[in-house]
Parts: sequence; C-alpha cells; structure tokens
Amino acid sequence: MAVHKLTIKEILSRVREVFPNAPQTYMISLINEALVEAGRYNTKVEYAKTTTVADQQWYAIGDESGADINKVYRVDFMDSSGDYVKIPRLLNNEIQTMDID
Amino acid sequence: MASSYNNPEDFIAWFIKGDNLAIVTTNGSDEGTVHHRLGDYKPIDEAVTNGVLVHYYSEPNAALGIPGATGIDASPDLDNTMHSSLVDYVKFRLYQDKAGTSPDGNISSIAMAMAKNHENKWNEAIRRFGMKKRDKTGGPRRIMPADLR
Repeated sequence: MAVHKLTIKEILSRVREVFPNAPQTYMISLINEALVEAGRYNTKVEYAKTTTVADQQWYAIGDESGADINKVYRVDFMDSSGDYVKIPRLLNNEIQTMDID
Repeated sequence: MASSYNNPEDFIAWFIKGDNLAIVTTNGSDEGTVHHRLGDYKPIDEAVTNGVLVHYYSEPNAALGIPGATGIDASPDLDNTMHSSLVDYVKFRLYQDKAGTSPDGNISSIAMAMAKNHENKWNEAIRRFGMKKRDKTGGPRRIMPADLR
C-alpha cells in the first residue's frame, strides 16, 4: 500500500492557501531551516567508510568533509577477514601522545 | 591495503575531539620502543582501505526549489509523519513576518497569535513527539485493537 506523503510542491500549496503571495524561494528557505532543526533530533541514520593512514590519528568528520555528520554513535574497524567489527569508544578522550598531523 | 588485525576490538578505540575522529591502537612492541609499547594508546598503525565504518545521525538533505523529481516534486528528507509539521513551521514564520510588518495593530496581534499556534504545533511534533513519530514503534507493535470487553 502506498504511503501518504507530501511533496515540497504540496507543502508550498498548503501554505499558499493562507499566504497566496509568499515567494517560493523564501518558503523553500524556511523548509530547509525546519529540516536543519529536525536534524537535531536523530531523524536520519547514515553510514560512511573512511581509509586509515598509518600513524595518522585524526580524521575529519566536520561539515566540510561532506558527510553531514551530527552525532557518531558507533565505529567499526575492518578485521583481517574483511568484516567490520565494533570497536570501543575511549571515554576520557585523552592519550599519552598526541598526533597533530 | 587489508587489515592485519584479527580482533580489532581488543586493540583499537575511537574518540572525538571537535570535528575530528581519532582512531587509536594499543598494538605495539615492548622491545626498545619509545612510547610505542604494547598497551599504550597511539595513532592507528596501519593503512587500511575503507578500514573504518562510521555509523552516525545525519542531517536531512536540503529541499531544492528547482522543478522536477529532485526539486519541488520530491518529498522532504524526513519521515512522512513529520511532513505536515513542515507546513506548521513555514506558516509560523510567515505569520511572524506578517505580525512584524503589518501597520494595523489588530492584524498584527492576530498574526502573532496564529504564529504562536503554529509554533506550538511544530514544537510539539519535533520535540515532544519527535521520537515516537519517527520510529513508529513506541511500545509493543500492536496490529489488532485491544479487546476492551
């Protein structure tokens, strides 16, 4: 059975019932503001792979990396047979040596 | 390159500082090494192609104003239970604008009340009930109505 959902055009149409002269670009901008706010509430689960470099500690996951990561909740590392295995999170975020590369 | 770790969970750990993910290992040697002993945390010692799989909560894709299936004919990148809430958000902001620009005090106060009404509906959907509306599985997955006899 088809799931009922709204398209962007239908959302604009519903708003125009009350605001017939509202500019489309402005309304799209408001919809995107709402989507950013909704993103704070763990609405979308994603996965990404990255390649490690020998002796490199840090890997960029900010918005500039293109992954749109809000919160990392699990990390896996590949074992010798090619399977991904969950690795533990280090809670105190501190180690003896600090790689700045 | 492939991984040489048979049990990576026993050696490798991760943590986050700012916008960076740290991958560290306790693998090492006790013989004549400086800060590379077995058991000390240090940067990952292997280059492994696609070696790290990161699971994360992401931001929804932006809505585009262009015509077509990838633009305004597409659905927002949210669960369909939240689609009507987007209408509330847009109306809330437009009523706010109207309240701020109208020279008539009566129109302005009515617009402000309507803005508040739609803001409350948006907040209720996204904050108070966001989790339930998102996963659709709050509590048992009941498919039959309860027998009230």
